[in-house]
Amino acid sequence: MSSEPTEKSLKRMQIYTEKYWEKTGTSPHPTREVADTVINGLAQNIDELGRPLCPCNFYPDKKAELERSREWVCACDEMKIFKYCHCLLFVTPEGMPITEYLPEDHEGRQVYGIIEDPTPDKGRELRRKADEKIAEWKAEKE
Amino acid sequence: MGSPLNVTDENFQTVVVNSDLPVLVDFWATWCGPCRMIAPSIEELAREYDGRVKVCKVDVDHAQQTAQGFGIRSIPTLLIFKDGKQADQLIGAVPKSAIEDKLKSVLA
Repeated sequence: MSSEPTEKSLKRMQIYTEKYWEKTGTSPHPTREVADTVINGLAQNIDELGRPLCPCNFYPDKKAELERSREWVCACDEMKIFKYCHCLLFVTPEGMPITEYLPEDHEGRQVYGIIEDPTPDKGRELRRKADEKIAEWKAEKE
Repeated sequence: MGSPLNVTDENFQTVVVNSDLPVLVDFWATWCGPCRMIAPSIEELAREYDGRVKVCKVDVDHAQQTAQGFGIRSIPTLLIFKDGKQADQLIGAVPKSAIEDKLKSVLA
């Protein structure tokens, strides 16, 4: 997965991320290379799989992952529910992922502490699913 | 040494599990932004802990069996091995100081 994505897919993801930064009140990472790398990875996955699967996860089988769920298709469930992007694509102006809506035992809280949402009136379009997702994570741990 | 070693499915056992030194393993991928962020820290640690800790990098796209075997999901994931066993882990774009704290702990 190291070849360059097509111009078409790259453009599609650039437009998508621009719109999603606006929609969610998040920002690109101040180190532009971070965002560019992720956008390239998403575009590469469009070319390979037809969907912008998050490039910041390991999947034993990417096609099977997409058949299982759209959980990690950008914008992923964590972003839509908790406004947390572990890929650091949708972050605060300082480059930090928003963690304030995550449960305390989530790795995002453990790594970054509590990072407040500077634009709480925007984003979290699937916030109604937060309890359901937290219950799912608990069940996976048990 | 002094720079990270690239490890694959083929040599993971030899390089990591059979190591006499503690080993820091960085599971990463080409298009992962946070992986790029921490890469300079990993390289610095390889230099600074040369002779005390072995520092390795695993490209998950080229070491799928290893990544799957250790249940890697979110990347970057850093695993620390001591005496061939996983002793600790860190997930995400963690600061260098957090990695150092873990290394000091396994060296103590």
